[in-house]
Amino acid sequence: MKKLKPGKNNKEDRMNFIKYWASYIKNNSDEVWSRQQNILINSQIQNARYFKMSRKDYLDLKGEIR
Amino acid sequence: MKFLDKKTIKVDRELNELDKFVLDFIKILEKHTDYVIISGYVSILLGRTRGTEDIDVFIKGLSKNKFIGLYNNLKKSGYWCLNSEESDELYSYLIDGLAIRFALKDETIPNFEVKFARNKLSKDSFNERINVITKEGNIKISSLERQIAFKRYYLKSDKDLEDAKHIEEVFKKDIDHKKINIFKDLIMKDEKA
Repeated sequence: MKKLKPGKNNKEDRMNFIKYWASYIKNNSDEVWSRQQNILINSQIQNARYFKMSRKDYLDLKGEIR
Repeated sequence: MKFLDKKTIKVDRELNELDKFVLDFIKILEKHTDYVIISGYVSILLGRTRGTEDIDVFIKGLSKNKFIGLYNNLKKSGYWCLNSEESDELYSYLIDGLAIRFALKDETIPNFEVKFARNKLSKDSFNERINVITKEGNIKISSLERQIAFKRYYLKSDKDLEDAKHIEEVFKKDIDHKKINIFKDLIMKDEKA
């Protein structure tokens, strides 16, 4: 499995992580990598549900008030 | 996670709240029309480590009556539309090429951003779709080459370039780079028109 190479700047760092994580996915079972990914995804959803935004405020944020 | 054949990927992942939201919504959607999921959720479904607040989906054009049928079914199933309560108004948005957003009642995030597939590029996204088999249902996504090309040559934000790279790295052996270049040319042509 590839080791994570530090990047010279933020962009390169992020792209190196993309490659590292892709290698991790290919070298581990779907259950193992997805459990880690899900911590991030589920916490975002829980946060959104806890700090509710009105429809109007959300559409305003997206620039989609018609 | 792997291709079973050219049009099928099997993902034995643990499903998260976003996946369940998607699967519940498309169960209703596909009773009324055909669909294809595009954009950010595709890379997340395939392992990308980021979240999203919305899932972009193209649906095939519907008559007004058929759209009202879909809308009523969604309302009955606990969803609301963020843009309006009026079905006539919502249908006019879709006909005008605008997107409408559906979320669970009283919530805004996550939401499905729904659009009619109107131009050739979006209608063609139904061709070469991939069926992703998960533990709790199947999800239809656009082809990986189309995803990569769209993110790399049309959207082009840092986040989109990373999404494209993720898909490319995970499915290295399965990606047809000639197809990516064909989509790139189509996108450039569409932009100039």
